[in-house]
Amino acid sequence: MVEKIGVYVCECGPNIADNVDIDKVMETISSLPGVEVVERHKLLCSQNGKKFLKESIQEHGLTRIVVAACSPKQHEVTFMKVCEEAGINPYLFQLTNIREQCAWIITDKELATERAIRYIRAALRRVPFHRDLAKKEIETNPDVLVIGGGIAGMEASLLLAGGDRKIYLIEKTDVLGGKVKELDKLLPRMESSLNIISQKIQEVEQSEDIKVYTKSEVEEVLGFLGNFVVKVKIGENKELELRVGAIVVATGFSMFDLKQLPRYGYGQYDNVYTALEFEKMNIDGKILLKDGKPPKSIGIIHCVGREERGYCSGVCCMYCLKFANYIKSKLPDADVSEFYQELSIPGKAHQKFYEDTKAKGVNFIRYDEVEVMDKGIKYKTESGEEKTSSVDMVVLAPAIEPSGDTGKLAEMLRVSQGDGGFFQEEHPKLAPVSTSMEGIFIAGCTQGPKNIPESIVQAQAVAGRILSSLIPGKKLELEVKTSEISEALCIGCQTCLEVCTYGAIYFDEMKRVSVVNEVLCRGCGNCVGSCPSGAASVKHFTTTQLHQEVVEALR
Amino acid sequence: MDNGNILVIGAGVAGINASLSLADSGRKVYLVEQTSYIGGTVIKFEKVFSNMECATCMVAPKQQELLAKENIELFTISEVLKVEGSLGNFVVKVKKKARYVDLKACIGCSACFEPCPVSVKNEFEEGLSERKAIYIPCPGALPNIPAIDTENCVRFNGKDCKLCKEACMFEAIDFEQKDEEIELKVGAIVVATGFSSFDPKEIPKYGYKKFSDVYSALEFERMFASNGPTTGEIKLRNGESPKSVAIVHCVGREEKGYCSAICCMNSLKFVHYLKEKLPDVKISEFCSDLCIPGKSYEKFYEQTKTMGVDIIRFEDIEIKEEGKGISVKYKTDTKGSSLPVDMVILSTAIEPKKDASKLAKILGISQDEHGFFAEKHSEIASVDTSTEGIFIVGCAQDPKDIQNSVAQSEAAVGKILSRGT
Repeated sequence: MVEKIGVYVCECGPNIADNVDIDKVMETISSLPGVEVVERHKLLCSQNGKKFLKESIQEHGLTRIVVAACSPKQHEVTFMKVCEEAGINPYLFQLTNIREQCAWIITDKELATERAIRYIRAALRRVPFHRDLAKKEIETNPDVLVIGGGIAGMEASLLLAGGDRKIYLIEKTDVLGGKVKELDKLLPRMESSLNIISQKIQEVEQSEDIKVYTKSEVEEVLGFLGNFVVKVKIGENKELELRVGAIVVATGFSMFDLKQLPRYGYGQYDNVYTALEFEKMNIDGKILLKDGKPPKSIGIIHCVGREERGYCSGVCCMYCLKFANYIKSKLPDADVSEFYQELSIPGKAHQKFYEDTKAKGVNFIRYDEVEVMDKGIKYKTESGEEKTSSVDMVVLAPAIEPSGDTGKLAEMLRVSQGDGGFFQEEHPKLAPVSTSMEGIFIAGCTQGPKNIPESIVQAQAVAGRILSSLIPGKKLELEVKTSEISEALCIGCQTCLEVCTYGAIYFDEMKRVSVVNEVLCRGCGNCVGSCPSGAASVKHFTTTQLHQEVVEALR
Repeated sequence: MDNGNILVIGAGVAGINASLSLADSGRKVYLVEQTSYIGGTVIKFEKVFSNMECATCMVAPKQQELLAKENIELFTISEVLKVEGSLGNFVVKVKKKARYVDLKACIGCSACFEPCPVSVKNEFEEGLSERKAIYIPCPGALPNIPAIDTENCVRFNGKDCKLCKEACMFEAIDFEQKDEEIELKVGAIVVATGFSSFDPKEIPKYGYKKFSDVYSALEFERMFASNGPTTGEIKLRNGESPKSVAIVHCVGREEKGYCSAICCMNSLKFVHYLKEKLPDVKISEFCSDLCIPGKSYEKFYEQTKTMGVDIIRFEDIEIKEEGKGISVKYKTDTKGSSLPVDMVILSTAIEPKKDASKLAKILGISQDEHGFFAEKHSEIASVDTSTEGIFIVGCAQDPKDIQNSVAQSEAAVGKILSRGT
């Protein structure tokens, strides 16, 4: 079928008209094959201009449209809407940019005119290869699976539970509460941690919308945004299949294993404790040495494992200061020394906590190197001086690291791990709680080391993302310009599976070909570039379409 | 019945993000912004740490989406005058100042700038360049529609000038526009008003405004910006390129009484800026404690160190005159020394927005001892305030980086959508 193409040249007031000879453009273009009509307009994006375009499309019974105007970033959507209103599929239209890429940058009018004609010719040659593309929608399941029953997982569950969806909260251990439950007090107000966490646990347990499974682990995850199927193992031998629309990973963190670093004397000397052991001692109410006596001097060592892990865990400085406060309130006469490298105490409330702690007579010693000995700490200052400090008790602040099963879970969820082995967020600035897998979200220390308020904020943020996008009863609109892989051309090499960032391609073992999941594909084109047999192509940017356009532009 | 509409105050990255998510969920959003543009402080940056992504390119898609969104009503050059009512039923009075340029008719061609006879310091460029009385703050600003600054426009000061109107092909300039007072009914309010930068003039020892080549962090940011006053060229006031630069951390920390959390990383980013344009420049970072928390920041620090920078830990510091130039006089824990440099960049503290207390009174929310809006509970409810239905996000609550600001904006969305008001 021969296409009836309409070409519309926008003057954009003086912006295009002053630098491009529009009469000449129209004259040249009107003589080209397939061109049914060529029109000009003073400002095509104005109400007036859009009405004119719509009526002209209908009047001439056009089958393809080319608009020569500004950048697609500015008005592609505007003109696509006009096409829809005129009753033509919006993907049969092409916007070619003769403003930013022509009138505004070429000072010689004759040259600019020639360039504009060239661009329009290229678009003209492309549009016959355009195909009708249709918007697709899928039904979604609004229920949510939350993995991890710590403070972040519970907060997310509580916000998500609004009566119109079910929340499944999976916890590996036999109790809710996570690491916060292992803390005595929360800084800077020194409130009881147990009070706060118990209240959250109670709220979760009382919620009719939240179903808690303790001693449970995720075994298998299939599907995609809106339609996940998850296999959960409960206890020793029970299994459960859940259908959910989104998954929240809030698996928390582990502490750096101190046995890896013998210089800290952990497990070797008496009275060397980890931060969590020291919290436990305080929850139990007494700070005591192994021999049952209270310590006279305590050294708190910051940054344990920082160098090995390659990042600052962000929270240890503050909780080490909190430890000094624990000690000073229980043993006012004990000598407390903080051995630190860089004091990281960001935010409006923390410096005051530091000043107050210092005022209680706590020593601050900046070290370059440190080693724990029996009843003492040997350290080197920044200027290279070697010193020794005798202490009865040592408390170590080990780095925060990804929890043990992060790798396994990442593989199961098809989410990548980034810096430090933590789950990789979709974008480090603008999308910190989503991942490259649509429908899978991360909150708290599973995304990176952070303190309690930041973890809670992330959990609330996940709730915000899910509540605003996965709405009960609302269908999900899919990306139109997705990739497709020709079954006939695919050789089954699976290179595309490797390069797909969105986990949108799977391999059909029966047919031995790669298949694109249109729900997950965002049309980035990675698979097209890497496909050795030319089987992959992105709709609306097919090789033929691009080839035709480029050939004409260069002719 | 409770009202589902939402008021968002401040169209920086946090406010934009909250507005978009709320609109996605089907809510009607009123976004009130004080300036004539959207994007807040982030669009002043050329790049963001630690991935060194172009900041405007990063934010532009969000800005475009916001401007195109049907259920977001944007009020620029506007301010909140009065708030009454409570959760679910707030009544808000907004003053919408006249732009004098018709948003629908104007295409942003900028033909009106040239004939304008006025020239004043451009505040968006930290005063490093001049603008007209009809202007956009910088190329690429959105919405790409100029505004008339009536304080400086000669027409609004008694003269019969209409040069801009004559230059406009689209009859977009309308001197008859009037300020309006609008009443909005909303169920909840998100405050995302951002921050101000500490003015280093308050501390004479930094020599700011005394010595011409001592710059604030934001001034340097604009100097490096490709859409800024020097189109990205780093140069001294005499037009030459600096051969040595000192970057001073923690400017105003002691006075403010807190660590602003982002300045160390931002100062390290400046090393990348400098080395990109001037590979041979000698750089010294004067820091106290390095605050680079999180999984990605230390990696950036290690990488920056390999680019060639001296990191000096100071206890005391002063910028002094030396010969015809300036030098950094500093004390470490072991010695005192002096370093002559061509340029000094001051990493200034983040402080509450200048008019935070006025807004706090209007909203009926409290401020903390530093003047930031006070959260309901620092550990477990940091985006809530003591007034139910009013949320605080981003640097309006506490100094923080973009990631944490965005997370808070989504958190406020979570809280709002969760309770259905």
